[in-house]
Amino acid sequence: MDRRNFLKTCTAVAAASLASPSFFINTLKAQEGSFKPYNKAPLLKKDGTPIKPEEIDPTKQYLFFYPHRATPCILANLDKEVPPTEVKLADGSVYKWQGGVGPKKSIVAYSAICPHQLSYPTPDYSFINYYPQDTPSNIVKRGGVIQCCAHLSVFDPEKGGVVLDGPAQFPLTAIVLTYEDGVLYAVGTLGKEFFEDFFDVFKPDLRKLYKSSRKAKKLVEKCEVIEVSEYAKEVIRC
Amino acid sequence: MQKKSLGVNRRELILGGAVASAFLVSGVVAKTKNSLLGSPKGNRVVVVGGGYGGVTAAKYIRKENPDAEVILVEKNQLFVSCPLSNHFLVGLIDYGSLCFPYNKLHTKYGVKVINDFVVDIDIPKRRVYLSDGYIEYDYLVLSPGIEYDFENYPFYKETAWFYPGAFKPGSEHLYLRRLLEEFEGESIVITVPKMPYRCPPAPYERAALILSYIKENGLKAHMYFIDENEYPPILREGFMKAYNDFYKGMATYLTGVKIKDIDVGSRKIITSKGEVKFDFGSIIPPMKAPEFLREIGLTYGKEKWVKVDPMTFESKVQNVFVIGDSCESYLPKSGYAANSQAKVVAKIVASRIRGKNYEGRLIQHGICYAMVNLKSAIMVEVEYKYDVKTREVQKILREDNTWKVSTAKRYYEWARGLWRDMFL
Repeated sequence: MDRRNFLKTCTAVAAASLASPSFFINTLKAQEGSFKPYNKAPLLKKDGTPIKPEEIDPTKQYLFFYPHRATPCILANLDKEVPPTEVKLADGSVYKWQGGVGPKKSIVAYSAICPHQLSYPTPDYSFINYYPQDTPSNIVKRGGVIQCCAHLSVFDPEKGGVVLDGPAQFPLTAIVLTYEDGVLYAVGTLGKEFFEDFFDVFKPDLRKLYKSSRKAKKLVEKCEVIEVSEYAKEVIRC
Repeated sequence: MQKKSLGVNRRELILGGAVASAFLVSGVVAKTKNSLLGSPKGNRVVVVGGGYGGVTAAKYIRKENPDAEVILVEKNQLFVSCPLSNHFLVGLIDYGSLCFPYNKLHTKYGVKVINDFVVDIDIPKRRVYLSDGYIEYDYLVLSPGIEYDFENYPFYKETAWFYPGAFKPGSEHLYLRRLLEEFEGESIVITVPKMPYRCPPAPYERAALILSYIKENGLKAHMYFIDENEYPPILREGFMKAYNDFYKGMATYLTGVKIKDIDVGSRKIITSKGEVKFDFGSIIPPMKAPEFLREIGLTYGKEKWVKVDPMTFESKVQNVFVIGDSCESYLPKSGYAANSQAKVVAKIVASRIRGKNYEGRLIQHGICYAMVNLKSAIMVEVEYKYDVKTREVQKILREDNTWKVSTAKRYYEWARGLWRDMFL
């Protein structure tokens, strides 16, 4: 597909997905090897009610766990319409990223496991964070990025999580969201996943947190959304 | 820390024996005629050296191209990290956290790991000789690290027995820590060789950490920090400010000083600006690429490091790559740089095995963190982005000389990430 056709398709897909969320899911399913469906899990507040897009503050960063009980994701409101785009990998392969969801098409979510060397938010530290527009990164001198402070990989949440700077060789794994009847759902992942390596290398840490690897790997059916600062004792920015 | 020169007299040097450093032991072990793995089929890569560069290259060549047959030759059974070893010296971490086994390279990534000495490398015949036979290769990746340059600076030999430089992983660090823990004297010396050497910020970090340790433990010692360079070659602003803010009066920083002799018996360093007496120290010798690289023709004359294409790390011999501290590269010599260089080489080798030239972008990335006391750190990032088609190079350099506790926490995560990348 050339770029012009791709953009046309994205526009058509975006329009259709607004009317029917399942349309986009079916389109994604056609991207063999890129989209991986998991449980359709609503994003909820602490009180168990669905979080509304307007309740997601664009100046804050949020966390939820999906698709597994132990795999953290960043949720952000980019405060503007985020159109669909193509994500190109170093090997030349391409997949379509859906763009933002919600009434303003501004809500995005990504796995918070750094594709470089797998740093992720723990109850002690969060090295990988979303930098809202009013909290610019010292590395790229701008906000609206996701950055890992261990090795300074910087990702663009507006463009499907592509690498803006630093050593990461893959984009962030996108979490596919839908918005249906006022409820946000996580429905799958898009792009290269790092869950297998994550569960392998952090087995001892996850055992401490979740009692066993099996429990850590359990697929979730609903996601509680919290602010990162509520989860990690220290949010480390750079 | 004050900067000044000395005016004292020189005394005789006592020279000791030799310190064995045997990466390659030609002449000790005879070359055998056994072919250990038979003839290669165009996909065999032999990686020599199981440090940051070698381990990463072996793993990533297999990841990039599962059809590659990768053999890693390393003389030690376990990996011990030099990065973070200064933390071990002052008791911030235990030694075990620096040690890793090679087993997952084999079980998870299918790398053949051979624990053996390299006896010789016959480049025209494409053979690496081990103690009980040879392995033929299609591609050779050499990542043998550094050795101390005792040949050009023989007075460092005996010093190494008593006051280890601890720039090679293993027992030197264990012994140096014991010396520090048992130290009851009045003066400590740390020396810094002229650049280039392994891990540029490390001597400056070591000085800061030991001074911080002295403070923390209420010792009355004074440090003489003898630097052959004019200033810290990296993170200068952060180190100089830290020395001034934290350690004023505790140390004397002697810069641009050439070390001419070391008298171990009377614990005296003879420099171009006079003598320095000491009770205990870490005397860091000048370094060079291992001597066997000269024997196999990859370094010449007075060259200390192997000349390679600085963007692809290919030596003058096609399909022979030299990465890490042994080569002359844009990035500072460090474990992290070797890890990054190895990924570059992995892309190139994996493509060539497929019969193609790699045409994407090659990124070399270096990050160095350094402690300025027991709790806070500073950091620097260097990046080179190389477009293979246009041969354009984009360089990025960022220093953060403002020390922070959070930067020290990033430092640990930096190291843990590297180890995950290599071993898990």
